[in-house]
Amino acid sequence: METLQQILSPDFLLRNSVYTSVLVGFCCPLVGVYLVLRRLVFMGVALPQISSTGVAIALSLPLWLGYMTAHSSQSEHILAFTGSMVFSITAILLLAFLGRHGRGFPEGRLGVAYVVSSALSVLLLAKNPYGEIGLLDLLKGEIITVSNLDLMLTAAALALVIAALALFHKEILLVSFDRAMAITLGKNVVFWDVLLYLLIGVTVSMAVLSVGPLIAFGFLLIPALTSHMFARNMRQFTILASLLGGATAFVGFCIAYQWDLPVGPTDVVFLGVLYAIGWIITKLLHGNISPKSREG
Amino acid sequence: MNETLITLDSLSIGYNGQSVLSGISLSIARDSLSAILGENGSGKSTLLKTLLGLLPPVSGRIETKSNTGKPLIFGYVPQSTQFDQLYLLTGFDVALMGTYGRVRPGRIVPQAERAFTHECLRAAGAEEFAYKRFAELSGGQKQRVLIARALTARPDVLMLDEPTAGVDHAATHAVMEFISQLRTERRITVLLVTHDFAVVRHYAEQIIWLCQGKVLQGTADELLTPKQMAEILEMEAD
Repeated sequence: METLQQILSPDFLLRNSVYTSVLVGFCCPLVGVYLVLRRLVFMGVALPQISSTGVAIALSLPLWLGYMTAHSSQSEHILAFTGSMVFSITAILLLAFLGRHGRGFPEGRLGVAYVVSSALSVLLLAKNPYGEIGLLDLLKGEIITVSNLDLMLTAAALALVIAALALFHKEILLVSFDRAMAITLGKNVVFWDVLLYLLIGVTVSMAVLSVGPLIAFGFLLIPALTSHMFARNMRQFTILASLLGGATAFVGFCIAYQWDLPVGPTDVVFLGVLYAIGWIITKLLHGNISPKSREG
Repeated sequence: MNETLITLDSLSIGYNGQSVLSGISLSIARDSLSAILGENGSGKSTLLKTLLGLLPPVSGRIETKSNTGKPLIFGYVPQSTQFDQLYLLTGFDVALMGTYGRVRPGRIVPQAERAFTHECLRAAGAEEFAYKRFAELSGGQKQRVLIARALTARPDVLMLDEPTAGVDHAATHAVMEFISQLRTERRITVLLVTHDFAVVRHYAEQIIWLCQGKVLQGTADELLTPKQMAEILEMEAD
């Protein structure tokens, strides 16, 4: 209770981090729903990692070009934002294009993209004395101090994503569910696909910058997968996933603060526990667990 | 014979510029019920997709004649097995999608369109299970919902890809009776892809038979004679 009072206090030092985590927790599942429906779960794994590699490259660029002698958090943040956004959006558009038109094995491409970007992030981290501290925190999912400006930018970007999803949900749903029908109705399917991918790219970028790739991935997929087990229709699916994400972000932060744990891993483990509980409940409700296995 | 609605002139169809069937020249009459027959891989679905605009023709022309001067509206009924079960959509949600062509992006579907969707579901005999999860419906029920969805688009032409595949005999008869009735009542041109000779013989006025790279067009009486069928089946066996 005391922890909760501290966190909710207007003087709490990390209050902006709490707000940002909760915003990301609410917003990520909204695009995560479409990653699940389009069976792009591996994309949800790879994208945050690619995005964080974009951050690492952007922070290393001045060093490579010999410009950076002293760094300011403002310029670093702009660089990180640009790198994250450019890499996320380029990667999702490229992977989606190859998924539709390319030959070969889409999961293989995503796997390669994931592992190479992970390795590249570590290499860049090892060679960048300036970006090291912030980047390491980002990759570990540590609590990062968030300025008022950063919070406002995150809130504005995520509000834009939510507004676009709310406004165009019927077109995005139609193109996702039945592309052929959408074409016969005269819909520009490429436009709606690109819009969805841009929204996913922006959300992933903001999430990676705010809370890191691990928690971004967790919030993209686990609330949506958990919600899918209980929802009866698309509206319930989306709202439940979003509420679950937001609530988990807040409770996870409280747990991490109370026991001095890193926020990202705490949130993800908490989401995983909720997913496991959800899975057991649905199995019990539908009688798919035999009495023997229940006893065992 | 009614006037021609769709004319195919030296049409070549296929994927990525590679032709699977060429030299298709035929016409489809307004308000008719035509069946596309042929063995697996003969190009039936490719032809349907090309007519719908889902695939560009490799070469040749498709001409359509609309009474209103506007492009023809196609109602498409795909095979019900192609839909992902992850979508938590009811039969009503699926049928409502047919109205999206008339509702501008960012707008809520008006009440009148929702009422029209109910009307189409009723006409398709799908109102009873309209609020059940689409993924949980039987094959015949899904077909009825998909036909209702095609109707909500207010189509000039109804195109059905194996509407009775995976559907039992009684349901096949019910679905085909309903399609036939729709054609008469709403003056809709119907084009269906099927393997079912009984359906073709009973309901189709025109047959388009794709066989070994050739396209035969005629009535059931012309093409479904024992002699003609033996020749065609022999060609397919070769």
